[in-house]
Amino acid sequence: MSKINERLKKLHTIALVVALAVFLLVVVYEIHNLDNNSKRYLSEHYISEGVRETGAINLVTSVLYDYRAFDTLGEATVILTAAAILSLLVPVSKATMLGTKFSIIVYQTTKFSIPFLAVLGVHLIFFGHLSPGGGFVGGVVLSIIPILLTITYGVEFSESKLKPAKKKLVEDIGAIGFILLGLLGVVTGSNFLANGQANFGPGNTGELISAGLIPYLNVMIGIKVGAGLAIIFNSLIKEK
Amino acid sequence: MEAAVWVIILPLLTAFFLGISKLYFKKILFPLVTGSAIIYLYLLISVSTNSYPPKVYSVGGWGLLGINLMVDPFAAMFLLIIAILFLPVILFSLKYIKIDKHDYFILTYLMIGGIAGMVLTADLFNLYVFLEVTSLSSCALVAIKKTDKAIEGAFKYLIMSTLGSFFILLATILTYHLAGTLNMAEIALEFKELPFKLKSILMALFVFGYALKIGLIPLHAWLPDAYEDSPIPYNVLSSGLVMKAAVYALIRVLYIIFGIDFLSESGMLAIGVFWGVITFIIAHLLAFQQTNLNRLLAYSSIAQIAYITIGLFVGTDGGLIGGSFHILNHAIMKGTLFLVIGIFYYSLSAINIKDIKGLGYQFPIISFTFVVASLSIVGLPPFNGFITKWLIIEAALEAGFGYAAFFILVGTFLSLTYYLKVIVTLYTKTEKKIVIKDPGLSLRLPTIFLGSLCIVFGIVPSLPLSLINKIPQFLLDHSEYIRILLGG
Repeated sequence: MSKINERLKKLHTIALVVALAVFLLVVVYEIHNLDNNSKRYLSEHYISEGVRETGAINLVTSVLYDYRAFDTLGEATVILTAAAILSLLVPVSKATMLGTKFSIIVYQTTKFSIPFLAVLGVHLIFFGHLSPGGGFVGGVVLSIIPILLTITYGVEFSESKLKPAKKKLVEDIGAIGFILLGLLGVVTGSNFLANGQANFGPGNTGELISAGLIPYLNVMIGIKVGAGLAIIFNSLIKEK
Repeated sequence: MEAAVWVIILPLLTAFFLGISKLYFKKILFPLVTGSAIIYLYLLISVSTNSYPPKVYSVGGWGLLGINLMVDPFAAMFLLIIAILFLPVILFSLKYIKIDKHDYFILTYLMIGGIAGMVLTADLFNLYVFLEVTSLSSCALVAIKKTDKAIEGAFKYLIMSTLGSFFILLATILTYHLAGTLNMAEIALEFKELPFKLKSILMALFVFGYALKIGLIPLHAWLPDAYEDSPIPYNVLSSGLVMKAAVYALIRVLYIIFGIDFLSESGMLAIGVFWGVITFIIAHLLAFQQTNLNRLLAYSSIAQIAYITIGLFVGTDGGLIGGSFHILNHAIMKGTLFLVIGIFYYSLSAINIKDIKGLGYQFPIISFTFVVASLSIVGLPPFNGFITKWLIIEAALEAGFGYAAFFILVGTFLSLTYYLKVIVTLYTKTEKKIVIKDPGLSLRLPTIFLGSLCIVFGIVPSLPLSLINKIPQFLLDHSEYIRILLGG
């Protein structure tokens, strides 16, 4: 009896998934039949005017940090919330250290690759408005450094080098800095998080110091995301 | 209109500073929290009194290219609820919360920031982002006690709320694909030419997603578990603000983007009213069986939010006024009830109905507040609950939903039975119980303040009604809202 029940349950799940898939296919098909190419003026405006209006060559950055910077603040807050929740609810229990022994090749490679990762992360953050990259990506690359340290050398070593409190501090400074930079727009008589509209001097497009506040906002998001992800990783793992 | 954006960023800033203070200056918690709450109160009142005519604030100064915030009377009414609830709850929590105090306040402030963002934004994706901030911090607050029950409730809540978010995100993506913009006014204009079938599908996705977050039966299963073992001041904010914010967002999306014509044409209004009736009947019956006071109040919240749903889905001026006024009243009444339970729990760890036997003689004023609030939530005159129930019944009769009006009366009797059960237990004489901790003024005052508002708003309903009466003008017919948002 129970076997039949289990099979029915499986069948039920499959039927649900299939139904949802068919539903979505119908929706996509319906949308496909519509002629809505004329409704692209917003994205066309971003593409044609984005560089001139914001000064950032990377259009993704110009949308993320200028046109829709308020969403970025919200998303950064989501990451901060997640990090805060994990460090609250999943306390790292200091179990006895049996040690994770790797061969010397692993240790040497880790040591060797950390400076490169740091340079890559910082480059992605600082050149976010000029080339592919940006605060989120750069932050993820930077967060790999403590994660690598944790995996190869263990939690204790990694946390003695980069203390959890310091990471939390960096994360909070990143978030506060983002809001303070946004308030600069208010101070100069424009709106919150204004950049292209507030005449911070777009500079010569293509140079490192250009595009107004965007590079600084990138730095703030970069350190915030990097620290946040490092906190999340270290909260989730446990040593045995 | 700088104040509008401050309403969102002040709680966020406070939360970030609390994060730093947790690491290095633990002692500044009290001045930081209370100072920020008092400034926030001033901000909320100044923004909500300046809401007529509605004002638009363009974040980043991009106008229609970027994100806009809009303060209209509906948003102002919601900000007023935050203003009424927030300071009392913060003062209550400062004494009530003992463990993980910093984390509790960080998450609470993040949640309030998220709610304020949901209320003010006029951008569909921005709404989703703040919805995520709100749900995530809300889930964590459920689990903050780290007991088995709390973790279980939080896990259920997280799964269901993520499922709801998934549907909302899907609908948002499809909407952007179809309209090419995320500004609510522009979407509304684009949607006028969309085929009926596609619009219905999008509406179904939105409704299902938000109904999961509101907890309409049968999508309510997570809700009582989430309330059972969570900190009680959080329950006040959850039933008063988090669930209401989902209702608010749903109404905003339906009335502004889809428009009242489409809603009545597609039968959504009738479905909403019917769904509300089913929900409150079942919720009342389930509430009757509960022995845990938190669970009882949770089911009662589901039922009350169903009344709000009925009011808002009737689709007339009177319905919108009654429904929105009930959002305000329910926040106050349920807030009072939860705070009283919080005091009992704090001083005697009494959480089941049988534990509070005879406490009416030991805590005379607090128990009287409980009686006032529960009679008010049942809907007896001269309290505020009576007025809004009256308005909702009247609106339902006018719009031809006679059965809804009839069942609201039935529901009143059902709710009277279980609230009377609690009140009778409260005033049954037993031997005196030993009070472990004295609740003190800082727990009593917020409770009595909220309880007295039940009477004040019952006797002088014109006080909030002067603001609430302006809501339908910008919500029922979306053309005014669209005109203002487009900058005309």
